[in-house]
Amino acid sequence: MIGLWSLPLLFALPLALGILSLLAVPAWRPRLIFVGLPLMAAASLDMLAGLVISGPQVYRLGDWIAPLGINLVADGLAVGMILITTLVTGLCALYARVYLRDHPPSTSFFWPLLWFLWTGMNGIWLAEDIFNLYVGLEVMGLAAVGMVALRATPPALAAAMRYLLAALLGSLAYLLGVALLYGAYGTLSMAGLQEAAAANATTQVALALIIVGLLLKTALFPLHAWLPPAHGGALTPVSALLSALVIKASFYILLRIWLVLGPEVTPDFTAGLLGVLGAGAVFYGGWMAWRQHHLKQLVAYSTVAQIGYLFLFFPLVTNTGPEAARLAWDGTLMMLFSHALAKAALFLSAGNLILAVGSPQISHLIGISRFRPMSLFSFGLAGVSLMGLPPSGGFTGKWLLLHSALLSGQWWWLIVLFLGGLLSAAYIFKVFRMSFREGPQIDRSVTPPLTLDMIALLLAASAILIGLTAHVPLHWLRVGMVFGAV
Amino acid sequence: MIRRVVFAGLLCLGVTAALGWAVLERPMPVENLPERVASAMPESGVEHPITAVLLNFRSYDTLLEIAVLLLAVVVALALREAQPDRPEQMGLDNPLLRAVMAWLLPLMLIVAGFLLWAGAYQPGGAFQAGSVLAAAGVLLRLAGVSAGWLDNAVLVRAGLALGLLTFLGIGMLVMLAGVPFLTYPAAHAGTLILVIELTLTLSIGLTLLSLFRLNPPYADDPDDSRTQEAPKP
Repeated sequence: MIGLWSLPLLFALPLALGILSLLAVPAWRPRLIFVGLPLMAAASLDMLAGLVISGPQVYRLGDWIAPLGINLVADGLAVGMILITTLVTGLCALYARVYLRDHPPSTSFFWPLLWFLWTGMNGIWLAEDIFNLYVGLEVMGLAAVGMVALRATPPALAAAMRYLLAALLGSLAYLLGVALLYGAYGTLSMAGLQEAAAANATTQVALALIIVGLLLKTALFPLHAWLPPAHGGALTPVSALLSALVIKASFYILLRIWLVLGPEVTPDFTAGLLGVLGAGAVFYGGWMAWRQHHLKQLVAYSTVAQIGYLFLFFPLVTNTGPEAARLAWDGTLMMLFSHALAKAALFLSAGNLILAVGSPQISHLIGISRFRPMSLFSFGLAGVSLMGLPPSGGFTGKWLLLHSALLSGQWWWLIVLFLGGLLSAAYIFKVFRMSFREGPQIDRSVTPPLTLDMIALLLAASAILIGLTAHVPLHWLRVGMVFGAV
Repeated sequence: MIRRVVFAGLLCLGVTAALGWAVLERPMPVENLPERVASAMPESGVEHPITAVLLNFRSYDTLLEIAVLLLAVVVALALREAQPDRPEQMGLDNPLLRAVMAWLLPLMLIVAGFLLWAGAYQPGGAFQAGSVLAAAGVLLRLAGVSAGWLDNAVLVRAGLALGLLTFLGIGMLVMLAGVPFLTYPAAHAGTLILVIELTLTLSIGLTLLSLFRLNPPYADDPDDSRTQEAPKP
């Protein structure tokens, strides 16, 4: 009964606030977060309390039983995603309130878009119905495209258009797969599909379409081309939200569908292929990040690389022992959560550095370490997690993945983990080398508001902290999943 | 260029072949959903199964789809505001269109009303009725008839939000009885669905019309000097 009010609030409240902030005058739009953020935090924490006290819950919308109606499921993974979304989105909203003051009034449409984005994300985390997931993807995707277009400069509009086309193509491929599955099994509920689905041509074609569509939306190498201009060119809080959370949504759907259907119906090579593409992303993304001259483009390519690690999940969890599969699950989720925190921190601190020097060029950061140590410290702290150095969340995640790879005898993934870490170090230190070089002795940099620095620091510190206390979130994330039994 | 076309063509052929294969090899569904819908119809408050699925059994999907429509207008409003000049009057200099509109407009309003009402027992409903309303609005604009209230930003935004707010409000209000989100009490389901559909029709019509009105008239003309004047952030 605990989630009876807080669970629907998780999507109804941001939806209501989105509408209200559209109706409000521009000056009032940011202020709605002072009502919304505490309520969202309370609802999210109540979900956690519900999970701890009474385990995973099923919420029947309209009181109809699936497959006639739509069910929502709040298991450990869903609640974990809700909490990280509340944390990262809340902090990005506080950041944006200060950051957007110096931007043209049309950027106040950021606020309705932010609430709609939140609605879509929470809808996806809770969904149990594959068509409902599609609708959630559309809400989130369109809000994200709108946010990329907010700058309204020709490059921003071009990036947004490219993002829109990629997202639509991905959604349509996904929808086509959903239609095939519905035609074959007469149900859209994941639980129903798990029972009914068999390895036949229809299921395989449907799953192939779903996987390709979601890979395009997750920007996995070689389908990543839309990501760097969209994430690198957007307003800073938008970049942080997109890289930290939005691309995780399509990965989350892929993860859920794989666990329901994947190993039973796909040919054996599929999991390995996803792992190889992940490895390609780690190498190519890392290499491209190192070659960038614009700070935010570097961070955006780093996202392309970091997505790759998540896809090691598939070969490590498919047809391996229960212990290796559990380690792969833990490791992948640790990578996902620590990347969400670290990448948000990295984008926000990169935005602070750009505000300070007034230029997006990395070469203009010369000597900035003397004058803006705080911004650079957050950047470095987030970098520690991305490189996978102890004691960060990135380290814990890689450590768990490494154990899983050793246990299942797939030693070749160790090369990916090791070289990927070196590449991350190379592009993070590229920024540091420039900032520590002796430059002009006079401080010509602008001092950004303290709030902006504090928020980036808080996120970066959380990425480290989650590595130190990893066993607690990992324990609750296993609730309601097959891996909980081990 | 030729290689890309060939590649794209082969890809399309491959996907089509795979789809055809998948459809032909389709197993018989174990789950008989139409039967379940039929047996739940008496509690749905309407007589047409599609309306029952859209506005009762799977109303949550519809709620989010309406949010997608509103979202599209929010993005259009944001981009319109970023390009400060207002859209030009799009009236075509065509007296025939004006004359025909005098006949067409009442007819279109009646058709929209009928589609909305018919949704309860046969194909029809808010989306169809809203599209007819929007079409009437687009034709009026092309005929150069100006409606003053459509330039009133507050009024238009309130109209855009009306449908979604009503839908969401009813979904939350029923929860006071201790039931899940969007659980209509069986006795009032028909009335509530009609109220939702009525407000949705107005909002959907206004949404589609706004997307048309917010489109800058010179957007696709690269030679137009005004295209270059995008404000720098």
